[in-house]
This record gives sequence, structure tokens and C-alpha cells, in this order.
Amino acid sequence: MKNRKIWFALPALIISVSVVLIPAIMTIVTSFTDFNGLDLNLYFIGLQNFREIFTDKVFIKALGNNIRWSIIYMSVPVSISLLVAYLLCKLERGRNVFQVIFLIPYVLAAVTNAIIWMNAIYSPVSGLLSVFRSAGVNIPSPLSSVSGALYGVAIVDIWHYWGFLMVVFLAAFRQTPYDQVEAALVEGCGGVSLFRYVYFPNILPTFKLMFAMVAIFSFQSFDYIKLMTDGGPARATEMLSTYSYRFAFNMFQFGKAASVAMVMCLFGLFASVIYVSMSSSEEYT
Amino acid sequence: MKKVLALGLIITLALTVLLSGCQTQTDTSTQTQEGGGNSGGRTKLAMWFWGCSDAYQKALNENLAGRYNAMQDQYELVIEYRETVDNDISVAIAANSGPDVVYGSGPAWVANYAKSGKLESLAPYVEEYGWRDKLMSPLYEACTVDGELYSIPISLNTVGLYYSKSVLEENDWAVPTTIDELYTVMDEAQAKGMYAALAGNKGWRANNEVYTTLFLNHFAGPEVVYRCLTGEQKWNTPDVQNAVRTSADWYKKGYLGGNDYTNISAGEAMALLASGKSPFVISSSQFFQFANEYFNDEAGNTDDLGFAPFPGTDKAQYPTFSIGTVATFSVNASTSHKDEAAKILNIMISKDFMTDMTIAWPGYWGVPLREMNIDMSRMSGLSLAYSELLTTMNKTVNAGNFAYFVQTFFPSATYEHTNDIDTVWEGVASPEEFLSDMDIKFQKDLDANLVPPIPKVK
Repeated sequence: MKNRKIWFALPALIISVSVVLIPAIMTIVTSFTDFNGLDLNLYFIGLQNFREIFTDKVFIKALGNNIRWSIIYMSVPVSISLLVAYLLCKLERGRNVFQVIFLIPYVLAAVTNAIIWMNAIYSPVSGLLSVFRSAGVNIPSPLSSVSGALYGVAIVDIWHYWGFLMVVFLAAFRQTPYDQVEAALVEGCGGVSLFRYVYFPNILPTFKLMFAMVAIFSFQSFDYIKLMTDGGPARATEMLSTYSYRFAFNMFQFGKAASVAMVMCLFGLFASVIYVSMSSSEEYT
Repeated sequence: MKKVLALGLIITLALTVLLSGCQTQTDTSTQTQEGGGNSGGRTKLAMWFWGCSDAYQKALNENLAGRYNAMQDQYELVIEYRETVDNDISVAIAANSGPDVVYGSGPAWVANYAKSGKLESLAPYVEEYGWRDKLMSPLYEACTVDGELYSIPISLNTVGLYYSKSVLEENDWAVPTTIDELYTVMDEAQAKGMYAALAGNKGWRANNEVYTTLFLNHFAGPEVVYRCLTGEQKWNTPDVQNAVRTSADWYKKGYLGGNDYTNISAGEAMALLASGKSPFVISSSQFFQFANEYFNDEAGNTDDLGFAPFPGTDKAQYPTFSIGTVATFSVNASTSHKDEAAKILNIMISKDFMTDMTIAWPGYWGVPLREMNIDMSRMSGLSLAYSELLTTMNKTVNAGNFAYFVQTFFPSATYEHTNDIDTVWEGVASPEEFLSDMDIKFQKDLDANLVPPIPKVK
């Protein structure tokens, strides 16, 4: 019986090995070479790529940006989506309409979202910014500021992503046994206490999963940075993903690009290990 | 039995998904996936290009594919327009696949592919078609690798001042020909609440190359840039430090798009110029292609846009044109129709093609012909302004006076670094730090023989 179950996992295993594992092994190997991505005239150079990137100011900057981005991502959209999901859970009418509205940014392509924000909001010619400036309110453009550009892009990515988190959390909230809720209400539990002692413990497995996914995805952020600032101004929004891309496709240094990708993987792996250990320590009833 | 059938179905589906991603690519021109294949008896040849507007696509289809397809009946050129063309081409030709005619972002990009054997040497076609005598010498030389031509330059590009004639007239300003005159106009414009000059890199950070080109050549001087590019002088020297420092001063004073440099795109710069928000846009001549949306007959301001060479400084006389090519075209080494691909390149290196494309698409198709002789009677509006610029550039360059556009004459890793000039502007790095890093990267490129041939200014 156990052997037969493995057969059902075989297709997924074949795909994972061929699409994920083999390229991953190739990336690991490439990170120790001077591969230019064009011909197989490559040489093993040991840890040279890693030594160079860890003494590279831009890499350190990108790493710092990734950490900041992760902190923002693991706090802001998670908090907003939890709060809104909780409020919608208690809403009796119109819940579905709100869900659809909040999910729209998530279903739009990243290019569409970026264009909307860059042209309809941030643009000094056609955006909301220009309306404020015409009225005499001189708001600086978030994308023009070294200190503010990362947050300017983060706002757009959060706007895109939080709706999805909210929908997942809402579905989890609605699975909470209503007898627990009733009992708490009878005992005089208010909104915050109800959330803290009844709803949140019930959605904890879902919350842990989504939190781990957010952590992993935050280290892979690429599209909004690439579309909106391409790492600028002055590398203020450079991320490990965009830096790796630049090494590979602009400078033909695939070995170094792979070494940056390896660092990204380590962080993702770290988040995965934390999640797996948290999950395995749960008791199942 | 049912379980066996179910298992067999799952395995079949999984294998189908896996194998559908695998192909054997040997002949680029017969793969429909790459745009090749047979159609109505004609073998398809593929060319990939960036995702320009419908009107521009129509112009290129008519003037290039239409011309080629009409001159013979065995092959059909099909041009595919892709938003991610740079990446698509990089991946495809690295895998010995891709289009027959290969669009490229300039000689520095081409050198990497040529040295890896991914592009065909055009040496036989140079002799056959006489390209050496047809093309401007500095750009011809820049497109060679180890003495052989590997790409053709198709778009003469320079840095200068777009200006609004009406704004200059209303404010009693003349087109500046010296740097002091430019400072005077920009300061007065700022005092009136306008942008001193418009500039920006929104949507294309690599547009920083325009300003690196400008400041290195006009504030350090073409001779200094030549010495640096040939390895005779380091970048981190006082001449170049001062030029980079000047660029940072300009940025801080708001001469480059005010506080909105990273928030202004090419189109927005033209829109702001057309609405009188500034007297100038400082940018590359290829911006003409974005101007017709804002300077046109419908708006009644087609003749309002002018373009002038960047004013003279104590390091670069007036006029000095930093020359480059926006794009290049090559022949894929993997194609089995090299002669036909070369014929298509030859169509581009012609006055007829340049003229027809400039009428429909001013700013991009200024083929750097040694003899221009453009029929101005066919030009009007922006095409006329652009053609006049090409004629002036042609005379100046042929006389040996030019400077070096970063995107064309700098090797790829060094070029990538020059886009970080904004780290100096924002105070993240000093000019010395920026140039010291540039020296390190340039030396690596020099050692790897990736620096294009650098023509000497007379």
C-alpha cells in the first residue's frame, strides 16, 4: 500500500527534479565558475565570486534593502490583511463585494499595477502628484528620493499583495467553530479579546504558512523594483534579485549572478526551515 | 485494472508536460516558434525587435520587410515585436537559436556575443556590399571585433538640447551656443518657476548614459575620454573627477529635471516641454521618436520643437557631437540563411531606407551613412528637424570632430557602472570613489579585450 502511494507522487517528483532540482544544481555549480552565459569556455574559480560580492558595496546595499523589504512585508501587509479579514468576517452583508474589490490589484499584472502608480499617482505630469502640485502643495516624488524610493515601491507591491493575504485569512477566520465564538461572546469578550483568544489561535496554522510564504517571497521581489526604479535612484532600491539579473544579462557574468542567487536561496531556505520546524512542533488532535 | 489505467494516464500526462518543453533547435529559420518556417512556399526569416507603437511597426514592416520580400520570391522576412526583446535574444542566441537577423543594443553588447561565436562575421559582406565606404568611419570601426565587422550601426545618436521655440521667444532667450549662455537661461527659467531643463530616467534607468556621456565629453573633453578608453590614462584623474563633480552640481541645482529626475520619462519630458514648463530637454537625439505625440499638427506646434548641439565648453568646442548608435543588427551564426540575412542588413544601409524611415519615424533610423544628401523636400515637421541634425552631424563627424557616446564605445561592465553616476549625484559616493570603481571594472574589460576599437578625434 505504501509503495502505491509513492507512484502518485511520481509526476510531481519528476517535474520538481527536472524543473527545480537540476537548474538548482547547475546554479550552485555555476556560482563557482566564471561562466559568461554564452559559451562553455568556463573555468572553476573557487570562492572568488563569493569573495568579490561580499566586498561589493552594492551587494551589501542590496542585502540591506532585502532585509528591510522583508521586515516591511512581514509586518505591513500581514497586519492590514489580518485586520481587514477580521472586520469582513464580522460583516454580514457586502462581504463578497469587498473581497472582490480588495483582490483586484492582485489579479492585475505587475506591469499594469506599476504603470497605474507611475503614471496615475506618482507622475508629475499626469498623476495625483501633479494635481497636488498644481494646487500649490509641493509633494516630492517618493521615487526620486534615495531615502524614500524603497518605500515608494513597497507601497505599490503591498497594495498588490495584501488582498490575496486578506482572502486567505478571511477563509481561515470563517472556519472558526462558531460555538467557541458564541461562548466567548457570552463570557463578555470584546473585539480585541475575541480576536486574540478565539479567532487567531484557530487560524494559527494558516497564519504560520502565509507568514513563511511572505518571508520567502519577500526575498525574491523583483518585478516592481525592475519596473519602477530598476534599482535606482543611486542603487537605493537595488535588491539581490535585480543585482543578480544585472550581472547575468547586462554584464555577462553568470557565475557572479549565480553566487548572488545562492545568497537569496539561503534566506529562503532559512525561512522554510523555520516554518517546517514550527509546523512539526504542532500537536494534531 | 482501473488503478493501472489511472496510473498510466497520470504518467502519460506528466511526460507530455515535460516533453512539450523540449525541442531540438538546429535551423533557426525553419522553426515557427522562432518566427521561421515555411509559408506559402517561402522560407521565413525572423527578426526580433522591441515593442514599438503600431505606427512605427507599420513603417518598419513596409520599409524593411516589404522591401526585402518584394525583391525576391524565395524568402519572407517576418519581424516580431517583443517587449522583452533584449532578454529573449540573449537567451535564444546563447542556446544557438533565435532570429536570423539579430537586433542588438550596441557594439559593446555585440562584442560579447561575437567573441563567443554566436554572431557571424560580416567580413565577406563588407567586401560584397562596400559597407566600409558607405558607413561613417568612427561607427564602422566601433562595430568591429578583432578587426572584423560583426554588426552594422543603424541609428546615429547624440546628446543635445531640445528647445521650445515659443518659450525661448516669449522670454527673449536665444539658443545657447556657450555654456555660460546656457547657465544664464537655465537660471532665469528656474527663477520664473520653470524647470531649468528637463531630464529623467523614469522607466529606463539606463538613460543615465546620456548624462554620463554629456559630462565626460563636454567637461573632461573628448581627448581625455579617448585616452581613458585606450588605457593611456586612468578614469580617476582630476579632469574626469571635475567632470563628474560638475554633473553632481548640476543635479543638486536642479538643472536635470529639478527634483523629478527619476520621475520623468522620455514622453513626459516632451509633454512638459510642449506645455511650456521648461525651455529645454537635455537628452539624446533618439527622443525625437517620442516627440510627435506632443509636437504635431493636431496640437498646432509641429514646428515649435528645435534641437541644438550642446553648447561649447572650455573642453569641447561648439559644435561637438558625442556620437553613438542606438542599436545594431547582426547575423546569427546559427542561421543557415546568412547571405539572405546580410541582404536585409544591406537594405538598411541605404539612403532610401533611411529617408523613408525618417519620414515615418524620426529619431531612430538615422543610419550613419558617410554621404547623407537627404532630400529635404520630402521632410517636414519633426522629420525635417531630425534630418537637419543628421546633416550637420554628418559634416562635423566626417571632418573628424566628434566625441564618444558611452553606450557605444564603453565595454559592457564599464558601461553598466557609468549608470551609477547617480550615486555621486545623491551623495552616496564621491567622484573619486565612483571613478576608482570604474577603473577597476574598465581594467577587467580591457584585459578581456572587450573594449571596442576607439577612433581618434582629429
